[in-house]
Amino acid sequence: MISPNPQSESSGHRFQRRGFSFERAIRFFFASNAGLTIFILLLIIVFLLREGLGFFPGYRRELEVYRIAGLEFVDISRKNLTAHEQVTSLLNRAYQAEINGKCLDELLRSQEASALYNTFNDQVGPTRDLILNNPAATTGGDDGMLAVLRANYEAQRAKALTNLPATPHLSEAERQELIDSLRNRPAEATDEPPLVAKLNAAFAAARQSHAEPLQKFRETIDNFETAGMDLGSIVMEMTESVTATKEAIQTADILEKDRKTLLAAAANAKDPIEREKLIADAKAALADKPDVEGPMATLMEKKPDCVKVHEQLATSVGEIFPSLPGSLTQAKASRYLNAAKAAWPVLISDIKATPAKINSWTHTDPVPLSAAFISFLTGKSWVTGGEWQDFYGIIPLAVGSLMIAIVALTIAIPVGIGAAIYVNQFAAPREQALVKPVIEFIQAIPSVVLGFIGIMVFGTILREISTYDSLRWVPGFPIDERLNIFTAGCLLALMSVPTIFSLAEDALNNVPSAYAEASEALGASRLQTAFRVMVPAAFSGILAAVLLGLGRVIGETMVVLLVAGNRIKIPDFSEGIGAFFQPSHTLTGIIAQELGEVPLGSVHYRALFVIGITLFVVVLGINATAHHFLTRTKK
Amino acid sequence: MFNPENLIRKGLPKGYFKDILVRSLLGGITYLMVLIAVLLFGKIIIDGAPAIFTSEFPFVDTEFLTAKNETLHVFDDAKGTRHQLPASKYNEYIEAHAGQQIYNEQTFSYSGGGIAGPIIGTALLTCGSIILALFFGVCAAIYLAEYAKQSPFIHAVRLAILNLAGIPSIVFGLFGFSVFVLAAPVITANPVDRSLLVLPLFIEGWALSFQGWNSSLMAGCATLACMILPVVITASEESLRAVPQGFRDASLAMGGTRWQTIRKCVLPFSLPGILTSSLLAITRVAGETAPIMFTAAVAAKDDFPWEGLANPFDILSSQVQALPYHIYTLAARIPSSEYTQRAQFGSVLVFLILVAMLSFGSMVLRAKMRKKLKW
Repeated sequence: MISPNPQSESSGHRFQRRGFSFERAIRFFFASNAGLTIFILLLIIVFLLREGLGFFPGYRRELEVYRIAGLEFVDISRKNLTAHEQVTSLLNRAYQAEINGKCLDELLRSQEASALYNTFNDQVGPTRDLILNNPAATTGGDDGMLAVLRANYEAQRAKALTNLPATPHLSEAERQELIDSLRNRPAEATDEPPLVAKLNAAFAAARQSHAEPLQKFRETIDNFETAGMDLGSIVMEMTESVTATKEAIQTADILEKDRKTLLAAAANAKDPIEREKLIADAKAALADKPDVEGPMATLMEKKPDCVKVHEQLATSVGEIFPSLPGSLTQAKASRYLNAAKAAWPVLISDIKATPAKINSWTHTDPVPLSAAFISFLTGKSWVTGGEWQDFYGIIPLAVGSLMIAIVALTIAIPVGIGAAIYVNQFAAPREQALVKPVIEFIQAIPSVVLGFIGIMVFGTILREISTYDSLRWVPGFPIDERLNIFTAGCLLALMSVPTIFSLAEDALNNVPSAYAEASEALGASRLQTAFRVMVPAAFSGILAAVLLGLGRVIGETMVVLLVAGNRIKIPDFSEGIGAFFQPSHTLTGIIAQELGEVPLGSVHYRALFVIGITLFVVVLGINATAHHFLTRTKK
Repeated sequence: MFNPENLIRKGLPKGYFKDILVRSLLGGITYLMVLIAVLLFGKIIIDGAPAIFTSEFPFVDTEFLTAKNETLHVFDDAKGTRHQLPASKYNEYIEAHAGQQIYNEQTFSYSGGGIAGPIIGTALLTCGSIILALFFGVCAAIYLAEYAKQSPFIHAVRLAILNLAGIPSIVFGLFGFSVFVLAAPVITANPVDRSLLVLPLFIEGWALSFQGWNSSLMAGCATLACMILPVVITASEESLRAVPQGFRDASLAMGGTRWQTIRKCVLPFSLPGILTSSLLAITRVAGETAPIMFTAAVAAKDDFPWEGLANPFDILSSQVQALPYHIYTLAARIPSSEYTQRAQFGSVLVFLILVAMLSFGSMVLRAKMRKKLKW
C-alpha cells in the first residue's frame, strides 16, 4: 500500500518498511475470510469424493464374488422365476379385482361393519381386559372392586358407542341394530356380533356366486402357476450350494484384509520382537484359498437340467396364453389382465433366450470396473443387508425423487406463478400487504414440521377422501398407503410455492415499467398487458424461478423421509396414474435413513456418499441453469 | 346521420367476463394458498394448545417447557383408574404401591415429561452456529464490499457462494459427518487408529490428530455455520453496500485509513441491517434437521447438556437433543395414539411459535429499517 506521506519510506517500524503494515494484515485477514467460502466448497467436494470413490472398486469386488461363487448363474434362472411370479400375481389381482368389483356393495358393507366393530373393540378393550384378567373375577373375591371395574367398562362402552366411524353403505336400521347388539353385549363375549357375521357370510356367498362363471379363468391361473414349479425347485436347490461358496470367499477376503493390516502394522512397528510377532500373526492369518472349482463343477452339472426346465416352461407358457379370457367386466380387472397380456410375449422371449445365456455363462469372465459403474447407474434394485447379494442401483431412488418432483411442480408451478401474476399485476396494495407476509411465513415453516403435518394430518385426510364412492373412478383410488408419492408431492408443492412465487414476482417487478406503460398507451387491457407483455418479458426470470423450485424439491430431505413411505421399489406402472399413489424412496431420504446404521468404510457407506455426489451434481446443475437464465434477464 | 351517441360503446366492455374470470381464478389460487397456511397453522394450534396452555394462571404449562424428556407409562391400577406418568414418577408410584397389581401397561418412548432438553439443545446449536457464521460471514462481506476489485479470486469467491447456497441440506449432513465428525483435528494424547494424520506436538506425548470431533455440539454448529455462511455473506454485503459512498469518502478525505473508515463509518451504520437479516438465518438454522442428524443430535438424553460434566468446555463435545430432530423422532419412530398427541402436537406448536416469532421479528425489523434508514 502506498503511503500518502512521501517521507514514510525511511520512517516507521522496520516491518512497515518491508511492506508489512497493520492495514495490509487487516486486508489479508478479510480476504482470507472471503477465501473460506472457496475452501469450504473444495472441502465438500474433496471429502465427498474421498469417501465416495472407494465405492466402485469395492462394489466391483462384490460383483466379482457374485460371479465367481455362481450367484449370477442362479440369478439368470431366478429372473425368469420372478417374472413368472409377477405375471401370476397380475392374473390373481385381475381375478380378485373382477370378483370384488362385481360384489362391491357386499364387500363395502362387510368391511364397514367390521371396521365399526373393531373400533368399538379397540376402545373398550383395555377396560374389558381389566375385568377379565382381574383375579377377583374368577375367585369371586373383592366384589366392590369388580363393581367399580364394571362401572368403568360401562362408561367406556357408552363413550365408545358415540364415537364410531361412518357407515355410508349400511342402512340406518342396520347400523342401529349393530350398535344395539354392541350395547347389550356381555363383557365376556368374544364372538362377532350377528350382523357382522351375517354380512361376512353374505360377502362370502356373493364371492362364491361370482366366482362360478370365472371357473375357467381360475383354472388357467392355477395351470400357469404350476408351470413355474419346476423352475422354482431347481433355483432353490442351486441357491443353497452357491451361498456356501460365497460365504467361504467372503471369509477368505476378510482374513486377507486382516493379514494386510497386520503386515502394515509390522512395517511400522519399532520394536523388533513386536514386529516378529505381528509377522507371525500375519502368516497364521494366511487364508486357505477357498475351493471355488469344486462347487462350480457341481453347479455346472445342473446346466442341462436348467436348460430343459426353461424349454418346458416356454412351451407350457405359450400354450396357456390362448386360454386367457378376452376381456373382463371391471375396469381395474381388465387393466391388470391387459398388463399381464402385454408382459406375456416378453416373458416367453426371455425364457426362450435363457438357455443360450446359461450355456455361454462362465465364472471366469473378468468383471471390469465399468461393470460396477454401469450397475450403479442402471441398477433397478437397491438391496442392502440381504442374505443373497447386495445391489446398489440408483434407479428406484431416482425414479422416486423424480415422480415426487413431478407431482410437486405440477401443483406448484400454476399456483406459484398464478399467485405471482395476481399479486404483481392485479392486487391492490392492501392485498399485497396481506398475501406476501403469509407466503413468506410458509417459507419459514421448517420442513420437518411439514413432514409432521403430512404424517399426522394430510396423509390420513387423503386416504379418507380416496375411499369415497364418488371418487372411485380416479386411478389408484382408494389408496392403500397413506404415505405415498402424491402425499409427499403435495407437501413439497407447499414448500416450493413460496420459492417460485417470490422469484417470479421479482422477475415481474424487474420488467421496466415503460413496457407496461407503452402497452397501456396502445389501448391494451390489463389482462393483455399482463399476459402478452409482462409475462413474456419476465419469462426467463420465471423459468429460473421454476428451476430453483425444482432444485429445492429434489434436495429436500425431511418431508420425503417422513412422508414418501420409504419403500425401495420402482412404482408399479401397470397401475397407470395410480403409480403416483404408491410409496417410494428417494435419493435424499435414503442417505438420511441409512447413514446412521452402516459400518464406517463399508461399500454400503460409500454408496451413500456416491448418492450424495449425484445429488450435489444434479442440484448444482439445475441451479447453474437457473442462474444462467437469471443473468440473461439482467442483461 | 351522424349520431355522436354511436361513438360511446354501450354495455359491458369487450372481454369483460374473460377479464373477471382470469382475475378471480388467479385471485382464487392466491387466497387458496393463504387459506391452506391458515388451516395448517390452525390445526396445529388446536391440537397442540392443550399441551402447552392451561386454564389456570399463568396459562402456560410450564412443566411441558421445563421438564426433561422421558418415556411415558400408561397403566390401570386395580381400581380401574388410568394413570399416565413419566418414567421417574412411574418408578416412585411402583415403589409406593409395592405389591399391587397394575394392568394394561403401555409405554410410549419420548412422550412423557417435557421438552426442555430439545429446546436448550436447539438454542445452543443456533447460538453456536450463528456466532461462527456471523464472524466469518461479516468479515468475508467486508472484503467483498469494501476491498475487492474485479479479479479472478473475487469471481471464484462469488461462484463458491452461489454454489454453497444451492447445496441440499442432506449433502451438508454428509459433509459435516465426513469432515467434522470423522476428520477434524483434535489435540489428544492417544490418537485413534482411523485418524487421517497424526502430527506430534513434542509436548509430553500430545499430538494433533485428524480424527474428528465425533457427534457433538461443535460438529453440529460447524456444519450449520457452513450451511448458512452464504446467506449471511449475501445479506451482510447488501447492508454494507447500502451505506452511502459519501460516508466513506468523507472519512478517507479526513485522512482516515481504510480500516478506520470501515470501523467508524461503515460498520456502525450497517450493523442493524446485518443483524436483522441474520434473524432470517437463525430461523433457517433452528429449523434444519438433515445436517444435524449425524453430526450433533441424539434422540434421547437423560441429562441437560451442562449436567455431569467435568469441565465446562465438555459441553462442546457432548451430543445434544434438538427440537426439529425431536419432532422427527416423535413423528417417525413412535406410533401415534391419544397418549402421544400431547408430546407430538405440543412440540410442534412450541417450535412453530419460536419460528413464527423469529420470522415475524425479522419482518417487523426490516420494515422499521426501511422507514428509518433514508440518507
